[in-house]
Amino acid sequence: MSAARCSARELMAVLLARELRDGEVGMTGASSEVPVAACLLAQQTHAPSLTLILPSGIVNPRPGRLYRSASDGRWVRGAEAIGSAYDLFELSENGRLDFMFYGGVQIDRHGNINLTRTGPADGPPAFRGPGLANISFAVVCRRILLYSAAHTRRTFVERVDYLTAPGHLEGGDSRRRAGIATPGPELCVTPLATLDFDGEGVMRVRSVHPGVEERDVRSRTAFDLGGADEPWPVTPAPTQDELAVLREVVDPTGVLADTPRAAPADRRPTQELRT
Amino acid sequence: MSTRRRPRTAELGTALDAVHDGATIAVGGLWFHNAPSAAVRELVRRGAADLTLFGAPPSSFTTDLLVGAGAVRRALIPHVSFEHLGLAPNVRRAVERGELELVECDEATLLGGLMATLEGLPEHPVTSLKGTDHLRSSPLAVPATTSEGLPIVAPPALTADVALLHAQEADEFGNVRHLGAPFCDPVLAKAARTVVVTVDRLVSNDDIRSSPGATTLPAYLVDAVVPLEGGAHPCSSHGLYPHDEEHLRSYLALAGEGALDRYLERWVTGPRDHADYLAAIGGPERLAALEAVA
Repeated sequence: MSAARCSARELMAVLLARELRDGEVGMTGASSEVPVAACLLAQQTHAPSLTLILPSGIVNPRPGRLYRSASDGRWVRGAEAIGSAYDLFELSENGRLDFMFYGGVQIDRHGNINLTRTGPADGPPAFRGPGLANISFAVVCRRILLYSAAHTRRTFVERVDYLTAPGHLEGGDSRRRAGIATPGPELCVTPLATLDFDGEGVMRVRSVHPGVEERDVRSRTAFDLGGADEPWPVTPAPTQDELAVLREVVDPTGVLADTPRAAPADRRPTQELRT
Repeated sequence: MSTRRRPRTAELGTALDAVHDGATIAVGGLWFHNAPSAAVRELVRRGAADLTLFGAPPSSFTTDLLVGAGAVRRALIPHVSFEHLGLAPNVRRAVERGELELVECDEATLLGGLMATLEGLPEHPVTSLKGTDHLRSSPLAVPATTSEGLPIVAPPALTADVALLHAQEADEFGNVRHLGAPFCDPVLAKAARTVVVTVDRLVSNDDIRSSPGATTLPAYLVDAVVPLEGGAHPCSSHGLYPHDEEHLRSYLALAGEGALDRYLERWVTGPRDHADYLAAIGGPERLAALEAVA
């Protein structure tokens, strides 16, 4: 199995898929082609009993391709169940989920997420973000997996301007002191590196992706990543097998690719979804 | 005494008379799917104002259009975006200019408030909101204490004057069927005093009775059913047509450069009614073609 060329989003999907475990129940959020692809890829490789729930409540979709909208009606066909907003409420209040993915307008060195606003705390914001539908999963999920399609100093900040969803808060035992019983973010996958957290809840580099220079990761992160005494390990590249399953089974139209591929032959009208 | 069952079908204009200025409305669907777009366009046409707006935790086109048209004073919307197509330009601008009161909340606080209404209680405590700045900024995150003395938040009951929903099918009596994800719509219906549902097509009562398990809103929850083919466009109607990405992109381009007026003239205030709008987008043929272009 040799390394193969792939897009940044294919790389992130493969790396996130490797983190998912068989039998886990997880959910994805908005604009999440990469996490959805990771879950579908994991189901096709090492985690056939993984349960994927989309933010529209659709359980275990098998659409034969990726759709960019998380709640597209075409995820329904072939799915195992359709839950409601109440089911999502139940999942969060009863802490039923093993993992959840979060991205952020800002992600700070403790893995806290800002999707709400930047600028001063009072008065109108400098920038209004999309907001976050589900904060509670960041509190109750056993595993939080962060990802960001952008690795820039604007995204990876020392401290979030507004704390929408809790990561490791101020680090140390601050999460526990806030009454949160789950361990908090485990890692963060970006196009440059896979980051994780030390015992104090401070973000550090676990590995840099193949072909990425250490100085680029440092210069594009607005906080100190530490670990200057020895070189960072290199992320094991996606294998030919991983990419083959991703491209042939999960994403045949190339939503994650740099250039789209032809649509699959199977384009039955969605009306068939009514049974 | 009538011996005939009362139909609940209504004209859109008549049904929307329930939405007075200053009303609280709950708008159904999620992101740009199953959204009551035709009903929202009609509200803009008739100059609805001073509304308080909430809906499913993730929202999109209908929220941005109502805010852009100046119909909304206050919104309780956890997330509003066009997903991979971008942020909601009118909401973003209105909040950054301080013109819209956008109440910070999330799914747990919003659903908590709705559950309180469904349970006939003044509030509904939720355990899962911890560590977030919403605890200091959200009026829904009212501090409370469990019987064990632990701090939690108890969102107050949230009720709408009118729920505006879109589904795929209903019978004339108001039995409604979603062909995809009903998501928050059944909860919104139960938390509203008046429920208006637009549907792409009417089906017979016999059809409803042939698969009662598929009914997502029984008629006793529904005050008005408005048959409007393409009533969700440019949003999707799950199971019938996907969202019109080209139309949404043109909306985002115009709204993004501050030219929402041009969009409104062409697609909202220009067309006299929904039939006129449907003709303007290319009729049912346009809806049928969406599957191929998406």
